[in-house]
Amino acid sequence: MTTRTYRAQAFLDAAGRLGVPVTVGSERPQILQAANPAGHLTLPFGETRRALAAIEAFAKAHPIGAIVATDDDGLLLAAEAAEAIGLSHNSPVSVARARDKSATRQALSDRGLRAPRFVKVPLDGDPAKHAGRMPYPCVVKPLSLSASRGVIRADDPASFMQAFDRVRKILAATRGSLAAPESLQWILVEEYLDGEEVALEGLLDHGELRVFALYDKPDPLTGPYFEESIYVTPSRKEPGVQRKVVGMVREAASALGLTRGPVHAELRLDEKGPWVLEIAPRTIGGLCARTLRFTGGRTLEEVVLAHALGLPVPSYEREPGATGVMMIPIPSGGILRGVRGAAAARAVGHVDDVMITLPPGERVVPLPEGDRYLGFIFARARTPSQVESALREAHACLDFAIDPVDTPGGGG
Amino acid sequence: MTNPSDAILTVSDAARSKVLELLNAEDQKDLALRIEITGRGAGGFRYDLQFVGETETEEGDAVIDGGGFKVLVDARSQPDLKGSRLEWVETALQSGFKLENPNPIWGDPTALAVQDVIDQKINPGVAGHGGYVTLLDVKGETAYVSLGGGCQGCGMASVTLKQGIEVMIKEAVPSIREVVDTTDHAGGTNPFYQPSKGGGGGEESPLV
Repeated sequence: MTTRTYRAQAFLDAAGRLGVPVTVGSERPQILQAANPAGHLTLPFGETRRALAAIEAFAKAHPIGAIVATDDDGLLLAAEAAEAIGLSHNSPVSVARARDKSATRQALSDRGLRAPRFVKVPLDGDPAKHAGRMPYPCVVKPLSLSASRGVIRADDPASFMQAFDRVRKILAATRGSLAAPESLQWILVEEYLDGEEVALEGLLDHGELRVFALYDKPDPLTGPYFEESIYVTPSRKEPGVQRKVVGMVREAASALGLTRGPVHAELRLDEKGPWVLEIAPRTIGGLCARTLRFTGGRTLEEVVLAHALGLPVPSYEREPGATGVMMIPIPSGGILRGVRGAAAARAVGHVDDVMITLPPGERVVPLPEGDRYLGFIFARARTPSQVESALREAHACLDFAIDPVDTPGGGG
Repeated sequence: MTNPSDAILTVSDAARSKVLELLNAEDQKDLALRIEITGRGAGGFRYDLQFVGETETEEGDAVIDGGGFKVLVDARSQPDLKGSRLEWVETALQSGFKLENPNPIWGDPTALAVQDVIDQKINPGVAGHGGYVTLLDVKGETAYVSLGGGCQGCGMASVTLKQGIEVMIKEAVPSIREVVDTTDHAGGTNPFYQPSKGGGGGEESPLV
């Protein structure tokens, strides 16, 4: 996990409950590392060879039972390290395919599955050469950034040129970060797919897909930017549609070569069925996994860690009822000064919690440039409708004070 | 509800004069002095002193006659303030209120041992990153701490807690089985998380 993770506490708590020791591999040395040398491993995430050598050397002194990447940043390294030291894991090739949106599209297409038409344009290419040939509307996006970062809809050649330039700047700003340098050299342009989105959370076990949750995403995602907001499960889609979604994810995972561990899939639905946008071989991002609770009060992270270690998993059944999360939309860019109404939001019926994850004084950056969440609202009720209503009511209680500053890319 | 227990704290003549001087300067005679223990560390107890409306009492407060003004002490601070004396100290270099407190910072030997680990090993380590750890309480096999400074708001604070702080405390004090972070990460100047529903705190984050 990197120091930008939202997932540290959930995974460490899960390991604690399972009674398994953890080594945290991260890109920076930990503060009290000297007191617990087996508990920390500093890894140069951007330099795979060095990172692999460090993990292999570490594993000789401290045997490792499983490697689990908590976020996108560590997925490929985890797969390569697992292969290097002989642990069961998705193959590096399959993970690389899943991490690269163009490779995902190609693999789906090769398998005969529905995939949007796409073209990979070099970062230093001239967008004017492509602008006249794109099917509009289209979507311009990086190959590997997550959480809709850098994803922009273009409706005509002029907006395509603007979007391309903006994504180019986002990728330039990302250089030197943990994203694979190769993936920063290209921009993906694909046809825009109309329709609602759903997300599937599950676990692959020897290629078999166990579905933990199918989330509806009731807010329209039509662009020009694609900010996630509400996820509610169970899905209210027709059973036949749900079956098609599950079947499509199963097929798509197989097409990518993923066979083991958690998967988080994002799909669009149109009248002909589901389109897979992404299958990430990891758990759902941010703090959204808090929506999932399994029989006995187990968390998603406990299930994932136990499965990775080959420990018995007493039940893959979720607790009954509906649950959901709102990734709080960012109202504007600037400096966050504070939040009013959190207590009132927490007091809304069926609301479990409201968490503001961006500290006051920090810069709030909306999409497409932004990569940090403002916060999360969680709700739990008998029905998905009650959950959705509670999330919206709680959100209406919140008032964010954000001092405007110039945002990168000129606004949005 | 008040609990008259003047023996908790006495006020020296110098301190009394200074408090009255400050109250007169404020021209607000309906203020009381609230004293609270906010933490413990290598230097002893940490206190917070502030003027509040004298009617702003809370459940369990002790209301002490300071001699022309009231002193309010919250229920949690009372046992550890018993027998204390509020002084006003003025030297060439500094001046300020000082509490002469005869009580040990922890009566419980386990808590004292945990405090020692924090003071001697943990805080020197986290200080380099602008952080500090405060022991709030020890109940049974659990130590409750809060993380402040650079630790408060750090996304890897849970890693520091579970992989560092807890390991060090458990190693030095084997009777401790768990260390729980009770930080109100919504407060302070560098908050990260709002407190969970029902998890204490629950106030609004600051609007400047």
